[in-house]
Amino acid sequence: MSDVVAQQATEQEPVIDLSIADAVIDRYIDIPGNLMPVLQGAQDEYGYIPRVVADHIAERLNVYPSQIYGVLTFYSQFHLKPRGKFIIRVCVGTACHVQGATRIVDTFFEKLHIGHAETSPDLRYTFEKVACLGACGMAPLAMVNDSTYGAMTVQKVEDIVADYNQRPMK
Amino acid sequence: MVNLIIDDKQVTAPKTATIYEAAKLNGIDIPILCHDKKLKPFGACRMCLVEVEQMKGRQIPACTTPATEGMIIRTSTPDIVKARKMVLELLLLNHPLDCPVCDKSGDCDLQNLTYEYKVNSNRFTDEKFSHEIDYNNPLIERDMNRCVLCGKCARICDEIVSYGALTFIDRGIETKIGCEFDDGLNCEFCGSCIAVCPVGSLLARPFKHKARFWAMTKHPSVCGYCGTGCNLTLGVKDNKVLTTIYDENQGFHNGQLCVRGRFGYQFINSAKRLTTPLIKKNGKLTEATWDEALELVASRLKGGNAVAALATPRLTNEELALFKKLLVVNVGTKNFDHAAGYAHAALTEGFASSFGVSASSATILDIQKSNLLIVIKTDAYETHPVVGFEVNMAVKNLGTKLSIISDKRGKLSKLPDAKTLVHFPGSEIAVLNAIAKTILDEKLADGSAAAIAGFAELEKSLAGFSAETVAGLSGISAAEIKKLAGEYATADKALIIFPVGQAYAGHAADLASAAANLAILTGKYGKEGCGVLCLSEKNNSQGAVDMGFYPQDGGLNALQILDACTDGSVKTLLIAGENPLSSYPNHNKVKAALEAVDFLVVSELFMTETAAMADVVLPVCSFAEKEGTFTSTDRRVQYFKAAIRKNIKIKSDFELISDLISRLGGSAPLSPAAQFSEIAASTPGYEGLSHVSLRKEGAFAAVSMAPVFVVPQVAATIAAEAGKLALVTGSALYHSGTLSQYGEGPMHVCPENYIELSRTDASANKIVEGEVVTVSSASGSIKLKAKVTPRMPAGVVFSPYHFSDAPINTIWNGSPVTSVTVSK
Repeated sequence: MSDVVAQQATEQEPVIDLSIADAVIDRYIDIPGNLMPVLQGAQDEYGYIPRVVADHIAERLNVYPSQIYGVLTFYSQFHLKPRGKFIIRVCVGTACHVQGATRIVDTFFEKLHIGHAETSPDLRYTFEKVACLGACGMAPLAMVNDSTYGAMTVQKVEDIVADYNQRPMK
Repeated sequence: MVNLIIDDKQVTAPKTATIYEAAKLNGIDIPILCHDKKLKPFGACRMCLVEVEQMKGRQIPACTTPATEGMIIRTSTPDIVKARKMVLELLLLNHPLDCPVCDKSGDCDLQNLTYEYKVNSNRFTDEKFSHEIDYNNPLIERDMNRCVLCGKCARICDEIVSYGALTFIDRGIETKIGCEFDDGLNCEFCGSCIAVCPVGSLLARPFKHKARFWAMTKHPSVCGYCGTGCNLTLGVKDNKVLTTIYDENQGFHNGQLCVRGRFGYQFINSAKRLTTPLIKKNGKLTEATWDEALELVASRLKGGNAVAALATPRLTNEELALFKKLLVVNVGTKNFDHAAGYAHAALTEGFASSFGVSASSATILDIQKSNLLIVIKTDAYETHPVVGFEVNMAVKNLGTKLSIISDKRGKLSKLPDAKTLVHFPGSEIAVLNAIAKTILDEKLADGSAAAIAGFAELEKSLAGFSAETVAGLSGISAAEIKKLAGEYATADKALIIFPVGQAYAGHAADLASAAANLAILTGKYGKEGCGVLCLSEKNNSQGAVDMGFYPQDGGLNALQILDACTDGSVKTLLIAGENPLSSYPNHNKVKAALEAVDFLVVSELFMTETAAMADVVLPVCSFAEKEGTFTSTDRRVQYFKAAIRKNIKIKSDFELISDLISRLGGSAPLSPAAQFSEIAASTPGYEGLSHVSLRKEGAFAAVSMAPVFVVPQVAATIAAEAGKLALVTGSALYHSGTLSQYGEGPMHVCPENYIELSRTDASANKIVEGEVVTVSSASGSIKLKAKVTPRMPAGVVFSPYHFSDAPINTIWNGSPVTSVTVSK
């Protein structure tokens, strides 16, 4: 009966190319305990785990789809919805908080028109508050993908948003 | 064994026991919520905390801690009671106290423990959950607000059912039990999760608000669907069977049931049941008295062999034996049969010639004792789900190897490391012969084999079955055949399992002999965990064979009886519970036969298509309304008594046949018990059994074997005609015969016939899931819903045979493989 579900899901998300997932699965297929690396690899490729990909992985690895969903929801590293090209993370840990992280967060909300753990409709930005980025000396701290921005100010938020608005999506 | 002290009592327990098991064995109860004896220890609920002196009085869970030598354990100190009370307080923090409207009330572990530990107030406060209740399916309601996260449902679905519909999702306080992507439940609906749920999170919807648990009487019975012989507990109130109740101590299966056993009981109290005898007058069935009807029937039981009978193997042993007596002694006919004839041929011809006994040489209990299981056709899961559970547990828990020889993949193929050899439809006997040939060629046969009668003939007959030749014939590579042959021959214990039934025309005498040859060649029979297990289709198929209710001494078999009806040599046909119009091959031919026969008598529960054609229809009882014995597929004889009183206007088949015997001037035993004494005295293996001795639990009828090699006839592999698809028939998981059509549960989840086809064939014909397609063969065509599944190989389509509305026998003539076209 789960085949019916797979069929419906295909109709909703017609653009997913499963051959990309197949390439990831082929890399790990013979390794015991391959579910995590396959899911991580698939997320690297698609940016998130679409349902058809989860179902496809379930079929190829012979793991229950429910079990895959359990893993996907247990670890916060996995995402079930499309994510922005640029992931903005602002630290709200103790050190950043006393240095005024709240204002930095609010300014991002204003500029990006999205809230915590949300993605902009054009898939450019995803914003996240995080507990600690491990660089308290640079507080208040923000990260965009792998770039780090220390000693953040409201002005710097505007600069960052202006900068990333210019960058190409592809 | 280890010695330990529990609550100041010196006790002993097996080395493998946990503290909980050791206590239970010695009559000491430790409270549990998350533990089930069938599942692996989990340790989630912390109800079973005990103190162990050697661990400095620390509180440890009894269900996960092994009992060790010299342990001094206390199970209910004031500290322990306090801790358990706290666990309950924390559970009740989120659990809604809606016991007055909860169907679990009275049978709820949480409620009982709360009562036992007198938790009448809570020191904590928190919000209750507000999860949406899953009403998406007709059978299982999931209310996660009541859940205590014991995980039993998810574990039983994985460990025993091996479907994996449920799992823990999310994390921390947000954790809940759910399905993939938090969808509604969509599974095979065996209801095992309902059975083990300690609270009211998972409930049977057909039973919702039908009765309070304590208001029902609980009647142990035996399931009336397939040949597994599962034990049931029927919940009865106001003379109605309202539900099936889980009893973990019942039967070899520990109370496990499939969708049919758990949800298929509604036919018993169906409003569609026949309640009065009917006689055809002026072409219309009209109500009559029993006296009129039976007098008329008795008057037509003349002319010896001009009378014939077909009985369903759902009747009890007593009824079948008495029916046979009526036919042989009082009527004087040799023409009687059951299950279309070929469905019991594996036993009555195959095993009868190979092992010298019409029974399987292994029992269901051997499955978990074996090292290698060879299952012929994955349908073994669909036809006998609870046997399938045994296979699941053997493979998953005990590491038993599983090889499947099948024309399609199936649920069993998904088990860890299961090897599925997919062959072209209809070539299984050739594959078994190739395995036998490989065993001989590679000198892997048992030393005893050469001395067994028929060895030389078998060796000669296998000349043309080298693995290479059969590889071309079957589509399984020679290497795989040789590998399996090697594994089978060298395995310490190996068991071959195959299902038979009216939908499996190819699984008859020759397949049984081919499988038996392998067991005899390698000496794998008559020992624990070895043998050949034929899964017969109906609840009393083995009993019908044991009672000898099949043609012997030149009597006509079922299909010949129908031919004889057509040509007029059979004038009166008695049909007891069979529905040949829907379930026998070749619909038109059956119809012509039933129209041609002079006088047709049908005893039935329902107005089936066959009953509608009868001259006299006699309403009879279901298994819940009578007493008797059923013999399961592995020859376990089980007694059951009536759970409810029958409608006074209907008779049991036993009463009906007794009445006919006396009308014909004979004398019949007064009761099923008396009839059973006659059976016990005359049936090999049943010696010493009686209703009284079977009352507590069933007993295996002994099987004594005299093996010989029999050369199986191998029909040329029937390939589908060019450009056509090969149709194979079989059973659907949710159904058994045509009876389950009257059980609401199975009909809720599988209401109509369908045709399963591969993704390749579906896309080639541009057919999508759920589309209605026309399936045509040389003999006719029907419209069926398409089901596109990854399990079917390209070129092969599957359709089950249970449905009277779109009977597959309109396009199927009893051939193992039928060429069909599927079009929009």
